[in-house]
Order: sequence, then structure tokens, then C-alpha cells
Amino acid sequence: MSPCNPLDLSGRHFLVTGAASGIGRASATLMHRLGARLSLVDCDAGSLTNLCDEFSGSDRVRSYPFDLRDNGSIDELVRGAVAAGGLLHGVVHCAGIQSVMPVRTLQQDNWREIFAVNTEAGLALAKCMASKKIYAGEHGSVIFISSVMALAGSAGAVAYSMSKAALHGMTRSLALEFAPKRLRVNCIAPGFVRTPMLARTAQLWDEEQTNAVEALHPLGFGNPEDVANAVAFLAADTGRWITGSIMVVDGGYLAR
Amino acid sequence: MPQQAPLPFLLLTGASSGIGRDIAIALSRSYSVILNGRDSVRLEETQQRCDVVGDHRVWCHDLMDVASLDQALPDYLSQQQICVDSFVHCAALLAVLPLRSTTLSQTQGIMNVNFLAAMEITRLLMRKNVNQRQLRSIVFISSVASQFGAKGFSAYSASKAALDALMRSLAVELAPEVRVNSILPGNVRTPMTQSMFDDPDTANRLVRDYPLGTGLPADIANAVEFLVSDKARWITGQQLVVDGGRTANISG
Repeated sequence: MSPCNPLDLSGRHFLVTGAASGIGRASATLMHRLGARLSLVDCDAGSLTNLCDEFSGSDRVRSYPFDLRDNGSIDELVRGAVAAGGLLHGVVHCAGIQSVMPVRTLQQDNWREIFAVNTEAGLALAKCMASKKIYAGEHGSVIFISSVMALAGSAGAVAYSMSKAALHGMTRSLALEFAPKRLRVNCIAPGFVRTPMLARTAQLWDEEQTNAVEALHPLGFGNPEDVANAVAFLAADTGRWITGSIMVVDGGYLAR
Repeated sequence: MPQQAPLPFLLLTGASSGIGRDIAIALSRSYSVILNGRDSVRLEETQQRCDVVGDHRVWCHDLMDVASLDQALPDYLSQQQICVDSFVHCAALLAVLPLRSTTLSQTQGIMNVNFLAAMEITRLLMRKNVNQRQLRSIVFISSVASQFGAKGFSAYSASKAALDALMRSLAVELAPEVRVNSILPGNVRTPMTQSMFDDPDTANRLVRDYPLGTGLPADIANAVEFLVSDKARWITGQQLVVDGGRTANISG
């Protein structure tokens, strides 16, 4: 209908991590509708297959079951995705792990694991984009998904919030380093979104606590699609003068 | 011709030039835009460039005269028999002056246009007898100057910081019916900022400090279009920085 869609992503290749569920899945679904070629990465091979079935054999989608804790092999993963799907225009790093743990019970292995997936994998992916053998050289956009926990505190979220706050530092410095390559780097900080990750956390809450957490958001809990819309906006040419920005999508959580 | 639902009305201040004019043109595809500004000739020029699908109108009112909005805006809406779905405040005065050269009346003028007009228009649009509870979304055009200091910017940056603080409180107070956000542009080349680009030293510095180069009004219009629409239905109380990397850059 519309002759020109400013969000159009056709001809562009994006790698999306955490693609099989929650925000990653909603982002992949929207970007596919906008015409992008996609390399989808998730540690849950079953859910990934299930998602690819939803794209009913689209030749623009390839899937890579991969555990990002193994972040030494990310280079190989990305080279494989480029060999199969062509040079990349961007990366959307949605994969994340969270465990609610008071600092007294937090062990080194716990925080290293959270850091490995949430932060180091993001850096390793962005580092790949520095190479001309990986990055297509134009219309580039790297998007990290952080959290309001990077900007506000929460008891029991020490490891998670530090892993996400580190993404903000990476976003700003990478943005400056990559700007001459016409490769933009931004971060989206969501509030509590109805995802499988939230469902796992909410198991620890009774109904009253769930309602209290929702009430912290003037617009209530969000849906994965709300964050996916922001991903598409930053990935497409609509974001062409936006780099180094932290975009908060939180239903008003941080305005309070 | 199939009958189409009429486009919702969007009130846009500062529509006669610069970023405001590009916002008007971009949003005219999906809204009927009420173009506000001081200069009816330039507002009509903007109207000429708007998409023909909408029922765009010109509302000439000088926001410096913030006290008369209380009368003028309700009168205009009732005379036109329309209600406003979205409000974008883009009007702004910028005078780059060292503190010793500023005057109280000039500072008050800047506060009137940049900040008080936004608050007053929002207040009026929330009145049931003026706008029938139709308001859904508000976007204020702030500035990265609301976050950082610069020589000669005291009144301007104070007015923009006030606008951002207003935005956050309105977001909490008016949720969930109305979403309120602001956009913080870096230095975009417009008639308002032309004097900065005329000075070669400043122009060179601007090129050096902006990692993605100088922004265009269309870059800001894209962000407004996103935030004002339902695509941003879970975004409220936020400042979106659109500045080509300027404020991430401490080496500048």
C-alpha cells in the first residue's frame, strides 16, 4: 500500500541473538516482516526450529543453535553466518540470562556466567563487525538490549544489573569507534516485559508482589513487540543520526 | 472511493520552519496537522508541502504571549470543532548570549516559548470541555543542551531542562491515558542554528564533534513520528537522544 516504508530493511542481513524467545523472537519476527535477511542464534535449538517453522521455509532466514557462554567461538559462528547469508548490516544482541540472588549467595561462577552471555558475547559480536569480511560497510546498526536495571537498582540483581550497565559503557565507546565506518551502536533498556524470562522470575512472587511490580510501570508490563518496535526503528534508516544512545522502553518505570 | 476514517488531529508548534516544518511534512501522511507558528505566510508554505491526505490547518498564535493561550486555544478548537489526539511542541527561541548580556525580559521570553507554552497547552488539552479527553500522546522537542553546559546557553538550556522535567512528571501523572516523551536533538542545521554555522570556527568544531556529521531536520522528524505513534505504546517519560553521537563523545 505505502510506496515508501521508512522502516524498510530489505536487502539487509542482521544477526539476532536470543532469537527464539521474548524480545529476540519479537524482534526477529518484525525484522523479517520488514524484509531483512536473518541469522537467528539461540541456545534452545527446539524453540529455534519452532520459530523457523513460523517463517514457513523463508529463504531469508537461517538458524544457528549456539550457546553464547562459549564466547570464544563467536567469531566462528559469525563467519559461518556470513558465509551462508552474506555480509552483515547489523547485530541485535537480545540474549541474556538473569538469576535473582542476594549478593551473599552469589558465587563467582554465577556472575561470570551472566557476564559471559549478557556482556562479553555482545562485545565479541560487535568486535566481529570491525572486519570488512563481516560488515557490509553501509547502513550498519548494532543494538544491545540492556535493562532498566542498568540505570536503577534492585535487590538481588547485582550481577544482572552490572552486566547490563557495562553494555551502556560499551555502547558509547563503540559508537565513537565505529562512527567513521557508518556503523551505529545503540542500546535499548527495557522495563519488565512479559517474556519467558519474566515468567521465571515471577514464579518467586505471589500475586500481590506481581501486582506491585506491575504498578511500578505507569503503563503496566510491556509486551515483547513494544521493544521490537524500538529495535526496528534503530535498525532502519529512521535511526541514521542516532548513535551512542540509550533508548529506554519501560512504560514509565524510570520516570517515577 | 472507499470511505476512509478521518485522520486524527496533531497540534504542532514551531511549524513554520526548520525541524518543525520537516516534522509537519513527515507527520502529514498519518495525521491532520494543526500548524502553529507566528508567521502565517510561512505556515501556509508548510501547509502547501504537507501530504494531501490530511485536513491540515494553520493556527497562527505567538507563543511568547503565553497568557492568552488560555483563551485562544479553546476558542480555536471550538471554532474549528476539532479535538487534538497528539501534541508536539517544537517551537523554541535560541539566543546565544553571555550571561552579562542577557536581560530578564529576554530570558522570560525564552521560558515562555520553550517551556511555559508546552505546559499551558498540555493543561488546556487535558480539560474535558476543551478537548473531550482525546489527547493520547505528547512529544516535546528538547535539546542535548538540557543535559550539558555550554557558553552562552544558560537561558536556553534551563528552559529545555525544565521541559524535560515537565515531561517526566506529566508522564507519571497522565498515565495510562497519555504518553509523554521528549527528543533531545544535537545541533541540526536549521534557520535557528544557521548563525552558528556561519562562524567558521564554530562550524569546524561542529563537524569535528559530531561522529556521524551534521544532522538533518528529517532525522528528528523520524524520531517524532516513532514516539508519537502506537509503535511507542509502552514508552513514556523518556528522553530520546538523537545527536549523531555528540554526547557520547568526551574527546570532542
